[in-house]
Amino acid sequence: MTESKVVKNLMIDVFEYPHIPFWFTIKQAIMVIKKSIIETEKCFHPLAILIFDEKYNLLGTVTMKDIMKGLEPRFMRKPTEVVQVPDEESSLYVIWDTLFTEESKLLAEKQIGDIMIPAKFFVEPDDPITKAAYIMISHDLGLLPVLADKKKFVGIVRMIEIFDELSNVILKE
Amino acid sequence: MELLNRQNYRKLYVQLYDKIRKKIEDKEWTIGFQIPTEQELCKVFNVSRATVRSAVLELVRQGYLTRQQGRGTFVSKKAISDKLTMFVTFGELMLGAETDLLIDVLAQTIMMPLDGLDDKLNISGDKHIIYIKRLWKVNNKPILIQETYIPFHICPPLLEEDVKKSSLFELLEKKYEIQITGVKNYFDVTCLNADEGRILDLSENSPALVLTQHFFSGETQIMYMRSVKRPGEFELSIECERKTT
Repeated sequence: MTESKVVKNLMIDVFEYPHIPFWFTIKQAIMVIKKSIIETEKCFHPLAILIFDEKYNLLGTVTMKDIMKGLEPRFMRKPTEVVQVPDEESSLYVIWDTLFTEESKLLAEKQIGDIMIPAKFFVEPDDPITKAAYIMISHDLGLLPVLADKKKFVGIVRMIEIFDELSNVILKE
Repeated sequence: MELLNRQNYRKLYVQLYDKIRKKIEDKEWTIGFQIPTEQELCKVFNVSRATVRSAVLELVRQGYLTRQQGRGTFVSKKAISDKLTMFVTFGELMLGAETDLLIDVLAQTIMMPLDGLDDKLNISGDKHIIYIKRLWKVNNKPILIQETYIPFHICPPLLEEDVKKSSLFELLEKKYEIQITGVKNYFDVTCLNADEGRILDLSENSPALVLTQHFFSGETQIMYMRSVKRPGEFELSIECERKTT
């Protein structure tokens, strides 16, 4: 039964994910994603890298979406502020050609710590998986760090495993 | 059957290398002795032929064994008597006679190998590495920045070790029984980058000595170390000793 399942039953090894320190640049993070995820054709969900401090404490996570936002601040604006996408194809090129240009190359030298999503939320290994699901849904997260004694980073719990487990309850006859 | 420790972090062929070398050094296998065939060694130690081959090749390379075409492999007459063998402080960087040495650990974390580190450590780009950055200070003056990169799978517990007080060499060799069997040292002069200048209390682009070291256990590279030293004032040394028979 789902009631008996706790986070540690579904937790995956932290080394499934690439690690980088916060002082790496966005450009270096891109290189890590290429080497560790794209070139090795690893396809896990969500695709993310973990950001640590100099003492191996987890600081946050970065996804490809966060990197693209970091490189092109106009992607960060709320929909109301974004230039309306014109209908005509010729005008489209004008818009897209102004994105990801030289300015983005400069921004790529920023530290990854500046654009990461801080690891504010976490669960303990013995927490019920429903608690993990609640936190992830409430804060739109694809993964959650698992900390033992609120300190030691021991694993990751992801939406995909939680979904799989909870869906068994629904499908069970 | 003599079993190797499969829980040990050291690779099997390095463990086998040590076992055979011990037999030679203890004179259990004397000069001229024909060692068992690959197949026999596989059975005795319950390992694959590839493991035996790697261990024997390393012993041949180091002069403990010689191979004779069509006859077999024998304990060498030379038995490394004239080989340069390192001292206890095997390739470890030391600071002259100074005693007031303090080490600050600036970082002890995990990263992925970038900027050619995968080639330097001979690992694939998706392997995690332990990164340790330490600052050596004498009389509270910063003199050397030492950055160490170790593939995580070589020694995972090293991440949580106290590397402020303990020597990395002692931890690897004594606590985790990862024997360092070779080191390649490269010296050069560099210009400090902004971060190095800040740490060493010098201006950016100041000249400094850089020593890069590649450490091996058998044929496996286990560690890459880069040390940047401020010029003058303190001498650094690496001791070696010619082993006598």
